Amino acid sequence: MASKFGLAGGIPERRVRPIWDAVDSRQYKAALKLCTALLAKHPTSPYVLALKGLILERMGKPDEALSVCLNAKELLYSDNIFHFDDLTLSTLQIVFQRLERLDLATSCYEYACTKYPNNLELMMGLFNCYVREYSYVRQQQTAIKMYKTVGEESGGEKLLPLAEALLKKHINSHSLHEPEALALYVSILEQQSKYGAALEVLSGDLGSLMGREEDKLRLQGRLLAQECNYTAASEIFQKILESCPDDWESFLHYLGCLLEHGMNLPKSRISETTLPLCVDAALALKTSLSEELVESRLASALSFVQTLQGNDTSDCVRGPHLANIEIERQRRLNGNPTDRKFIEALVNYFHRFGHLSCAASDVERYLHMLSSDEITELLDTISRSFDASSLSVKVLGFTITTYKVQELLGIFFSKSTTELQSIAKGMVDTFYKNLPLSRDLDPQESMHGEELLCMASSILVQLFWRTRNLGYLIEAIMVLEFGLTVRKYVTLEVKNILLESASHHILPQMLSSPLLQQTADLVIEFVQFKERLQHSMQYLSVRSDSIILSLKQKAESLEEMESILENVNYGVRLVELSKEDNMKHLTFNEDRQARPWWTPTASVNFLSEPFDEASTSACFRAKACEHKSTENNDPKIKETQRKSLLPRLVYLSMHGCASSLRETELNGSGLDTDAAEMKPLLEKYARSIGYSVDDALSVILGMSSGKKSIKDFAPDIVSWMSFAVFINAWNLWSNESVIPKADQSSPSSWQIVDSLVKICIEEQLIDANRILTSPGNNIPVLVQMITEPISWHLVVIQSCMRSMAPQGKKKKKGGPSERPNIPRLQAIQRSVQCMIDTLRSVQSWLSDQMRPEEQALDILLSYLQGASEDGPGHISCILEENSARHNPELGERVAQSLETWSSAGVVRRIVGAERELLVELKKICDSKLKLLGSLLVSLSSALH
Amino acid sequence: MTTIRRFCCDDLLRFTSVNLDHLTETFNMSFYMTYMARWPDYFHAAVSPGDRVMGYIMGKVEGQGESWHGHVTAVSVASEFRRQKLAKKLMNLLEEISDKMDKAYFVDLFVRASNMPAIRMYEKLGYVVYRRVLRYYSGEEDGLDMRKALSQDVEKKSIIPLKRPITPDELEYD
Repeated sequence: MASKFGLAGGIPERRVRPIWDAVDSRQYKAALKLCTALLAKHPTSPYVLALKGLILERMGKPDEALSVCLNAKELLYSDNIFHFDDLTLSTLQIVFQRLERLDLATSCYEYACTKYPNNLELMMGLFNCYVREYSYVRQQQTAIKMYKTVGEESGGEKLLPLAEALLKKHINSHSLHEPEALALYVSILEQQSKYGAALEVLSGDLGSLMGREEDKLRLQGRLLAQECNYTAASEIFQKILESCPDDWESFLHYLGCLLEHGMNLPKSRISETTLPLCVDAALALKTSLSEELVESRLASALSFVQTLQGNDTSDCVRGPHLANIEIERQRRLNGNPTDRKFIEALVNYFHRFGHLSCAASDVERYLHMLSSDEITELLDTISRSFDASSLSVKVLGFTITTYKVQELLGIFFSKSTTELQSIAKGMVDTFYKNLPLSRDLDPQESMHGEELLCMASSILVQLFWRTRNLGYLIEAIMVLEFGLTVRKYVTLEVKNILLESASHHILPQMLSSPLLQQTADLVIEFVQFKERLQHSMQYLSVRSDSIILSLKQKAESLEEMESILENVNYGVRLVELSKEDNMKHLTFNEDRQARPWWTPTASVNFLSEPFDEASTSACFRAKACEHKSTENNDPKIKETQRKSLLPRLVYLSMHGCASSLRETELNGSGLDTDAAEMKPLLEKYARSIGYSVDDALSVILGMSSGKKSIKDFAPDIVSWMSFAVFINAWNLWSNESVIPKADQSSPSSWQIVDSLVKICIEEQLIDANRILTSPGNNIPVLVQMITEPISWHLVVIQSCMRSMAPQGKKKKKGGPSERPNIPRLQAIQRSVQCMIDTLRSVQSWLSDQMRPEEQALDILLSYLQGASEDGPGHISCILEENSARHNPELGERVAQSLETWSSAGVVRRIVGAERELLVELKKICDSKLKLLGSLLVSLSSALH
Repeated sequence: MTTIRRFCCDDLLRFTSVNLDHLTETFNMSFYMTYMARWPDYFHAAVSPGDRVMGYIMGKVEGQGESWHGHVTAVSVASEFRRQKLAKKLMNLLEEISDKMDKAYFVDLFVRASNMPAIRMYEKLGYVVYRRVLRYYSGEEDGLDMRKALSQDVEKKSIIPLKRPITPDELEYD
């Protein structure tokens, strides 16, 4: 970035650099301070202003940022400006882009380019502006202008023939000098299917531009294959493999060309998340060759691969050995389904590379092709091939691989509880026994055998789901903590692009936790991260989440909620984003490979299904594969859609109630527009839960009257409650009654909300066990109920009351009998009382849950002290014993780390975390009760 | 058994297992994309047969005259694929490109002074500590500037160690 710090807009670099450093390390306050100081010296420097704008934007002050940048822009446009450099413009551009005002950035560059017509740097900036705005014609015009100015090549994406012609002309006059230019030229030809011409270019003088011979060969091979010149193509790929025997992609191409499969070309890379290959993709590729011909070609491939194997004695080139398996697989496909050579090739692979930690995943797709007999045979052969009792990194590697193969094949899934327990115990034992191997490792390195602890804890989780015995879960945590005690580690940072691909592990859980503040910080950072991922499902979803979160945080103040909504233009934009058309283009960018096998998605958990002793690992595997390949993102889309309607619904509820009450007083009917907007939104909302509005109405009526069981609607219960709240709000100002009334005694919309809230929350409280001992407890649901539907309902109540409050003293004179709002005030009063009662019951339940730390500790530890042979507790015992034993072989560092281990310490941390959750939830209830109390006071004074 | 190919944008969404590691920094998007656009030959991913990202290397070429050199900005391998010389392969690739294509004089890299496993690995690959950069990492930890001479630098002048440590301000490049 050195060039960035020249004489920037006339400001010496040493002054500017600390500001950028502060920005880069996210010290925005410090950056602002420095920038303000600099601005005092250079009050009219557009660059410093742009910097200030940038900092303000990062601090989450978009309005201030915009006004500062507009100021900078004005200064740029004024004639007496001396410096007009790309740095200033690009800084402004960054801010404008983040403020979603690309047009302003573009106009700055357009102005600059007219002022300094031949400045290439500025033109490039302008070109990029047009790229960001998708203005293709202008891109082209600018590109041609640039071409004319400097005579350099430029890209015109969609206009391939034009691009080709331009390049040809350029080559004739100036030739090409950059490898990239050549690659571009070839690619332009390739995209027009002019393979022959492309090959000609490559084999001519220009071909020497390709720096690496292999790159050139790969390109040639690909072009030849596309031309269906398979013989020549396979020869080329063979040549590549001779120099790079480990190049797996080239091997696949080589084989593909031999078999004239067309080609499994890696043309455009998979745009969305790839899932492991369950269904064998290559099966679809049909060769047109006869069986005999395939056989003989495969034989020649095999002998070639064997030569490659012979050339290498190290353990680092695995390609040719894996190739052997692939060739045998092809043989199987070619009419030899029971051929023994396939499993022999696999066994050989494991003999040679079984100690490497990637050995199992290397051959994963092949493992899935084995019959159950073959699997048994394979596992037997591998475990007989090494002496498990000896201590070496290699033997440890083999042991781990056998476990991994079983894990991949779902074999653990079919084991009995006792077997599983002893497998997990064996893993932990093996880890400890092999710790001396790590004595000389740097503490920052991963210790040998750490995978064993991960697998053991996976098994313990599986045991928990099968038996629901909490002890296993505690042990699972302990095993992982034990591993971390041995190794020096720091918290991993999930930032930048990882927010998109990795935060699915934790974000959903955080959103329903009572720790609202920590969550908000994360979400804000997430929202700021948006380049290029405009269509990300995560992004859309988190945009709503962030607004909903701030609404939840400020739920006790109507004014603050109003200002939040005002800042997001009253939720209108989100509603637009959630239109069907937009939803269709969403991309799912989570890296799902990182999920454990038993939860292919956030909502699926195979382990929670009842254990069926008869089920084999194969049928489990089939299920998991099927699930992965037909995975449905539909529920997630629906949920996102629902979330994006929420802010607008909250706004309309607030606004509608307030103005409706005023309108009735004035006897007007100007509310049609709001009511007209509310209706389709509620329809959409109901549809996202899977119902029409009418059906949804009868569901909430049924639930609130006790005729329908809450449990039947449990997964969406929070959405149902919010729906009832919005229906009530809508009913308040709608001309016709929204709720079908059977007779006079039918409940009002207020009563529906009241009893629904009461019933739903009571259900949670009855249902809840001691939360300390029931993981996955109902705290998250409870939190959501309190912070969402109840909050929205309180907003409706407050808006109603505000609009009914006598304005000025004049009104007070009118006697109560003259005021038309008495019935409504009474309904509100009842509702407030109901919310108070409900929240108090939550609070007393919470106090009941909190117990002294020592007592809680004893309860959890008692799960590990089961007397039975079978239950949990054995592994924590091993951990405790091992850490207490002074084993000199471990080396000083490892031994010292182990001394700090304490099982009780881990349990104490679990207890502490639980307690913190309860305290936070209690605080939320407290503040709601305070508000309700004050509402009650003003209600009774209004009614008397 | 690795396919080493150019790093592409979509890899950014798939390199979680490589980057969730405390010694691997995750930069912002424009940083990666700048490297992809400006020095595509210096940014490679290693991909496994199961199409997982095993590791990657990113770097650049810069400097003037005899300080024209390749620079390794990041090299990282997912834990599953460690201990099989993948980093070495990636480093050799970058060295080859610096040497043959760009005729650079040397390749350099910065490493935390405390990261002994990495330092040992670079030493095995022929790198020597050229100089120490005081408080290079967030103003706290020292960095080591390690270098390996390429064939252009016949007399190996570029790797004669500096006697005194320098401060980050004195660095020629960022």
